[in-house]
Amino acid sequence: MTIERFLNNSATSWMAGEGEHADIVMSTRIRLARNLTGFRFPLSFTENEALQVDQAISSVLLDAEAELESTFSYIDIKEVSTLNRQVLVEKHLISPKLANSEIVGSVLLSNDESVSVMINEEDHIRIQCIYPGLQFHEAWRQADKIDDILEKQLPYAFDEQFGYLTSCPTNTGTGLRASVMMHLPALTMTNQMNRIVTAITRLGMVVRGIYGEGSEALGNIYQMSNQTTLGKSEEDILTDLQSVTEQIIKKEREARAALIHTRPNVLEDRLYRSLGVLTYARLLTTEEAGRCLSDVRLGIDLGLIKGVKVAILNECMMFMQPGFLQKYAGVPLQLEERDVFRAKLFRERLQVNNNIDDEGEEIHDV
Amino acid sequence: MICENCKQRPTKVTVTQILNGEQVQRHYCDVCAQDFHPFHLDLQDPLSLHQLLSNWFGIPENQQLQQKQQTEAISCSSCEWTFRQFLKQGKFGCAHCYESFHEQLPEVFKKLHNGNVKHVGKAPSTFGQTLKLKRQIESVRTLMRTAIEIENFEEAALLRDEARALEEQLQSGGENRDDN
Ligand SMILES: [Zn+2]
Ligand SMILES: [Zn+2]
Repeated sequence: MTIERFLNNSATSWMAGEGEHADIVMSTRIRLARNLTGFRFPLSFTENEALQVDQAISSVLLDAEAELESTFSYIDIKEVSTLNRQVLVEKHLISPKLANSEIVGSVLLSNDESVSVMINEEDHIRIQCIYPGLQFHEAWRQADKIDDILEKQLPYAFDEQFGYLTSCPTNTGTGLRASVMMHLPALTMTNQMNRIVTAITRLGMVVRGIYGEGSEALGNIYQMSNQTTLGKSEEDILTDLQSVTEQIIKKEREARAALIHTRPNVLEDRLYRSLGVLTYARLLTTEEAGRCLSDVRLGIDLGLIKGVKVAILNECMMFMQPGFLQKYAGVPLQLEERDVFRAKLFRERLQVNNNIDDEGEEIHDV
Repeated sequence: MICENCKQRPTKVTVTQILNGEQVQRHYCDVCAQDFHPFHLDLQDPLSLHQLLSNWFGIPENQQLQQKQQTEAISCSSCEWTFRQFLKQGKFGCAHCYESFHEQLPEVFKKLHNGNVKHVGKAPSTFGQTLKLKRQIESVRTLMRTAIEIENFEEAALLRDEARALEEQLQSGGENRDDN
């Protein structure tokens, strides 16, 4: 199995646009941090320890393919070029930390890209499951199953009082970080996000913009996750997140209804302007592309914009990132070249999209 | 030039940002510039851990300062990290650190985990049996205390017996585990 398929395929399972509340919740992610006894954590271990840890974990997982009804590809991170690492980060298949690793580290990716097990990142084991839409319990079941398989064969670092022992004290206990990625354009437009972020922080959860390189949430996409991992069971953590997510979905839907009710012409004008920019612009920064994609997506959700497929928007969102863009171009691109190339790509994709509607044909990934 | 954000009003403000080491200039109108409210986001760490940890010792009065220095010098025999190093990096060097810094950790975890210092979630199956029993005993005892408080002594007696039975089970279970 080669790494190329993971790099060339822009569509990944969590971008399928399916699952419950998929118009607002783009994906659900579960991450479990685990360590083995008898080896120091990656921050302080030797290369020899790293090798033993890597072999122990990868062999157990590769032996369990039948049980998990999935095939895994083993990728040694030091054999992956900087650009390709960036692409894997942009697809959320590995963490920036693993991508920046200079000596050791590897990842086992399931063929449908819904499971990724990172070895020797900050902890010996990082199990990650990503599902489309709102699916906390489904994603948890999958991560839990993989965890069970590993613990049967490997001695985990576990303590009765502190639970799973992790390198970072913010993960100690369950080692569980559960998160949802949400598209919240109406709450952002109506300036409600700051208030919501403050309220959610008080509930022991964190909200942050994702894809943003510096300032605001790019494309109005936010990630919400649990803050604490100690003193609460996995089930309670997930149930609490689920109910807060449902609250936010409700608020977003209310804000959307209010927007379209109060100034329909202003809203429609804005959303169509954005579609115009994506279809005809000659220079597109990441920020502008993100903002316009968000508008067009909202336009589709509200039934104002027809004839554009959400799948194409998802693909564009993936492709507009610097790593993917340069992978697609086949050459390194400077900042302004990227903006030119990004604009070209959007024009092509959106026109291809229109053509499909005419001819009813499927297109393939580049 | 028109505003990058609304595409309607003329540019009044130029914002310079550093993105991935490259300088980028953004042009906004006066209306949009006001709305431009950066809130800083870091994908990796949920909070400024280092800052939080280094503050937890509080006021450096003379006696405390000495105590603080002693505590910070405690080191882990397995990875050789000192407690000071743990505070500075915000990470443990190995699993044994949890034992080495055992005395100091409840304070740390209280701050990080909303006052919680004890794990109540999943456990590996090897630990699972014993742990499950211990938790069961704890919850039966809580029920027993409540029964006593409301003077339901019959119920309390039943619960006491249940707790005893579980304790016996725990002791024999513990022996079995040592044999494995
Ligand atoms: Zn403006
Ligand atoms: Zn240590």
